Amino acid sequence: MSKPVVHITNLNLKYRNKPVLQDLNWTINANENWLVCGTSGSGKTSLAKAIARIGHSYSNIETSFNPQSSLPALAYYVANWFQFKDLEGQSNFYYQQRYNKQSTETTATVKAELESFGKKHALQFNEVDGILAALGFSELKNSTLIQLSSGEHKKLQLVKALWLKPQLLILDLPYNGLDVLSRKNLNLLLEEISEAGSQLILISNETELPSCINRIATIEEGKLVEISADERSWNDIETFDKQVPTFLSEAVINASSEEIIKMINVNISYGEKQVLKDINWEVKAGEKWVLHGHNGSGKSTLLSLICGDHPQAYANDFHLFGNKRGSGESIWEIKERIGLISPELHWYFDPSATVWQSIVSGFYDSSGLFCDPGYSKKAQTDELIHYFGLDEYKNTLMNELPLGKQRLALLARTIVKNPELLILDEPCQGLDQQQTLHFNKLVDELCKNGTTLIYVGHFESQIPGCIEKRILLENGEVNSVEILHKKPILT
Amino acid sequence: MSNYFNTLPLREKLNQLGVCDFMDSSEFLDGVNALKGKKLVIVGCGAQGLNQGLNLRDSGLNVAYTLRKEAIEGKRDSWKNATENNFTVGTYEELIPTADVVINLTPDKQHTAVVNAVMPLMKQGATLLYSHGFNIVEEGMQIRKDITVIMVAPKCPGSEVRAEYVRGFGVPTLIAVHPENDPEGKGLAQAKAYCVGTGGHRAGVLKSSFVAEVKSDLMGEQTILCGLLQTGSILSFDKMVEKGIDAGYASKLVQYGVEVITEALKHGGVSGMMDRLSNVAKVKAFEISEELKDIMRPLFQKHQDDIMSGEFSRTMMEDWAAGDKNLLAWRAATGETAFEKTPAGDVKIGEQEYFDNYTLMVAFVRAGVELAFETMVQAGIKPESAYYESLHETPLIANTIARKKLFEMNRVISDTAEYGCYLFDYACKPLLADFMTKVDTDLVGKNFNEGKDGSVDNRTLIAINEVLRSHEVEVVGARLRKAMTAMKSIKTA
Repeated sequence: MSKPVVHITNLNLKYRNKPVLQDLNWTINANENWLVCGTSGSGKTSLAKAIARIGHSYSNIETSFNPQSSLPALAYYVANWFQFKDLEGQSNFYYQQRYNKQSTETTATVKAELESFGKKHALQFNEVDGILAALGFSELKNSTLIQLSSGEHKKLQLVKALWLKPQLLILDLPYNGLDVLSRKNLNLLLEEISEAGSQLILISNETELPSCINRIATIEEGKLVEISADERSWNDIETFDKQVPTFLSEAVINASSEEIIKMINVNISYGEKQVLKDINWEVKAGEKWVLHGHNGSGKSTLLSLICGDHPQAYANDFHLFGNKRGSGESIWEIKERIGLISPELHWYFDPSATVWQSIVSGFYDSSGLFCDPGYSKKAQTDELIHYFGLDEYKNTLMNELPLGKQRLALLARTIVKNPELLILDEPCQGLDQQQTLHFNKLVDELCKNGTTLIYVGHFESQIPGCIEKRILLENGEVNSVEILHKKPILT
Repeated sequence: MSNYFNTLPLREKLNQLGVCDFMDSSEFLDGVNALKGKKLVIVGCGAQGLNQGLNLRDSGLNVAYTLRKEAIEGKRDSWKNATENNFTVGTYEELIPTADVVINLTPDKQHTAVVNAVMPLMKQGATLLYSHGFNIVEEGMQIRKDITVIMVAPKCPGSEVRAEYVRGFGVPTLIAVHPENDPEGKGLAQAKAYCVGTGGHRAGVLKSSFVAEVKSDLMGEQTILCGLLQTGSILSFDKMVEKGIDAGYASKLVQYGVEVITEALKHGGVSGMMDRLSNVAKVKAFEISEELKDIMRPLFQKHQDDIMSGEFSRTMMEDWAAGDKNLLAWRAATGETAFEKTPAGDVKIGEQEYFDNYTLMVAFVRAGVELAFETMVQAGIKPESAYYESLHETPLIANTIARKKLFEMNRVISDTAEYGCYLFDYACKPLLADFMTKVDTDLVGKNFNEGKDGSVDNRTLIAINEVLRSHEVEVVGARLRKAMTAMKSIKTA
C-alpha cells in the first residue's frame, strides 16, 4: 500500500488561545475525497489551514505527494473569505469602495491577476478559459479586482485552484455566494480534477456535492469523527429556540408613505458597461420580496442603490421612503430605516469591534461603535445577544470568532433596531442548515409586524416562508415580477 | 501681496497663533443646516476634492465641480473623477457665479492663480473655503471684503476621508475662520456644517486660525513628519549596509519599520511606543534620543524661526519662480539614494522584530516628535495644535513610506512639504555625522537584546518612564486620542 497522502497524529491546536483541536488523528489515503461538515467553530478552518501549512507548519502533520504525478505536489487551500491586494501589495480597501470611481486604477485586472498566477505556477493559459466559462466569469476578465463583488472574488479563487489542479485541494465553504448554475458547474469541475488525480477536502454543510466525495467526517470535541451520509446532524439547535424578544414584536412604524421604493427607468453603467438597464420596480410598505438572479445579474448593485451606497443613485429617477433621492436627504437618514446584511457588509465590518459593540452599532448604521448608546439600547442588545446564544462571546473581538459566529452577531445587528425595511442579502452565509432554518423563522416572525422585506438567497432552502413577491434580474434587466403563492422555484 | 502674518502687530500675532479649541460634540447639533440648500462648488477634483465631495453629497448637500476649460476639454482625470460619479461639472464661468460656497482644493502653488480667477466671478456675500492657509497667511492674498473666508482641513489623505465616512465615522479635522473676512459672522457656522458633511465632527474637531494652522503645519511637515523620517531612513539603511547587514533585509526593515513603530505611537503616544521595547532597549533608546534632541534642537529652532519670520516661504516662492529648480534637483537626488534603489528583500520580519531590530528609529521618532512639539509650543503655538501637527500625523506619513518608500511619501505630501523636507534633510545629515559613527548594528539591523541579560536598575527605569509619561505631548495626546479612539488601524504588509 502506498503512503497516506495526509497523516495526522495527535494534533493539538489553539485558535486565539482557545483549544479547538485536541489529539486529533486523521489519515487520508490515495483516492479519498473527504467532506468535513459540522457546526461553526468546531475547528474545520483551523484544521484545513494546518494541513495547508498556512502560517505555521506542524511536525505531527505529514503530507506525502506522488512524485510520479504531473500535478503540483502541494496542498492548496481556498479560504472561506477572499482577500485581494492593490498594485502596491496593500489591502486597505473600504466598504463599497468599488462603486466610487477614481480615475487612477490601483488594483490589477482579473486578466493580469490570472496571468501572474499562471506564470508563477507554470500553467497552460489555454486551460483557464473553460473554467472561466463554466463559472460564468469570462466577461469579467477586464474588470479590476476592486470592481468584483464578494461572490466574484470567491469564484476567482476557485478558478485559480481548479486551474492549478494541486495534488491536494482544500476548499473552505466553496459554495458561499455562488448561484445554482455555478454550484452545479463547480461540482462538475471538481469531479473533473478529481478524475485527473487531485484529491479533495471539502468543508461545507451543503447537500449537493461532487459525486467523487467518498468519505465524510465531522469534528467533535476537537477530534475527527467519521460519519455516514445519513448521520449528518445538527446540534446547534438551541440557538434560536427561545421566545423572540418583545421589542422585536412591536409593530414597525412606517413613518413615510405606503411607497418604500420606486424606481423609474433606473440605469447604471461604468463606462461602456451597463450593469442595470431601465429598471422599474415598486415596493410597497409591508411587502415581502425575494430578489433573484444569477451571479453578476445586478442584484448587489440594485441593493446598493437602496442602501445609499451607490453614487449613481443621484443621476436616476428613484424614490426611497417617498422622497426622491438627491433632494437633500443624507444617506444616514436612509440607513436609519433599513436593517442590512450582505457579504460586503460582513467583509468590510470593523474586525476590532467586540460582538456587543458590533450589535449596538446597528442602531447607528456604523461599522464599529463610536458613541455611548444609553440604557434602553444596551438592554435591547443584551436581550438579542441572549436570543442568538452569543452570551459567552459578548466581549470577544469579531476577528477572534469563526465566520459563522461573526455572522450571527451581524444578523443580530441587522434587526436590533427593528427597522421598517429589512434587506437580507444572503443572510445565512456561513451558517449551518439548522441555524438558517431558525433565522428564517425569526424573519417570518418579524415580518408579521409590518416590516418590509427584500431577501436574496441562492439556496431554495434558505428562503423564508413569508415571501410573497419575486423580482428576477437577468443581465441587469428585470426579467419578471410575479406574485408567489408558495415557495419560489429557483431557475 | 505681502506676508499677512508679518503685517500684524505682535499682540495680534500671538492672538491668532493662540486660537485653539478642541470642540465638544454638542457644537455640531445643528448638523449641515448652515449649508443646506446652498450651492457648493469645488475647484479641483483630485483625491481630496473627490472624496470630500462624495461625503458632502451623501450628507444631503448640493455639490458640483468646476475645472479649468482645458481639463474639461481634455477629459483629464479630474474630469473623469467628477463625471463618473455623476457630479455636475462646469467651467469657472459657468458655475462660480451661482456658488454660495467655493471650495478651493487645488495645490498651494496654484492658489494665487485660482483665487484670482474665481474671485471676480463669485457672487456678493459668498464664501471661499480653503483646506490650507498658505495662500492667505504667507502670500498675503487679499479677498474681497464681502466674501467670507474659512478653512476646513481633514487631517488625513482623501481616501481615508471617504473610507471613514462610509463606515459611519470620520477623520480628525481642523477648522478656522479668517478674521479679516467674516463680514456676516457666518463663517464658523458654515465651517462646522462642512465638518458634519464630511463626517469630521465624529472624530474630533480643532478650532484653529489660518495663522496657527500654517505655522504649525509647515513646522510639523518639515521636521518630524517628513524631514526626520527621510533622514532617519537613509542614515539607518546606509549604516546597516556599511556594517554588513543584508541589503534586502535592511531595505525591508527601513521601509516597513517606521510604519509598525509609529502604529504604536498612534495608539499609545511616545510612551506607548517606547513600551514596546524591552527594558534594556528602552533605557538605551531613551539615552540616545536625549542625545539626538540636543544635537537637533538648533535645527528645529531654525526651521521654526524661518517659518515665523516668513523667510521659509520667501525662499520657497523664489524657487517656484525659478521653475522649481531646487525642488526638482532634490527630488532627483532622493531617488538616487541606495535605500530607494534597493528593493525590500523577500524575508519575513515579525511585528516585534521591527521594534527590537530598529531601536534607532524608535529613538529618532521620540526625539523628533518631542522636539517638534516643544519648539512649536515655545513659539506660541498651542499644545493641541502642536500635537496634531507632530505626533498625530507621523503614522499617516509613515504609512506612505511603507507603500513605496521616500518616493511615495514625497509624492503624496504637498510640494510645500516636500520642499521643506529636503531642506531639513540636507541640514540634518551633517549634524548627525558624528553621532552615527557611534551607532552599531545592535541599534539598527540586529536584535538589541541579543547577548544582554536584560536587567536594569529599577530607579533608572522609573525615572525614565516618569520623564516620558509626564511630557506635555503625552498629557495633551491622551486627552485628544480619547476622542479619536475609533481610528482604524493601518494595515501592514
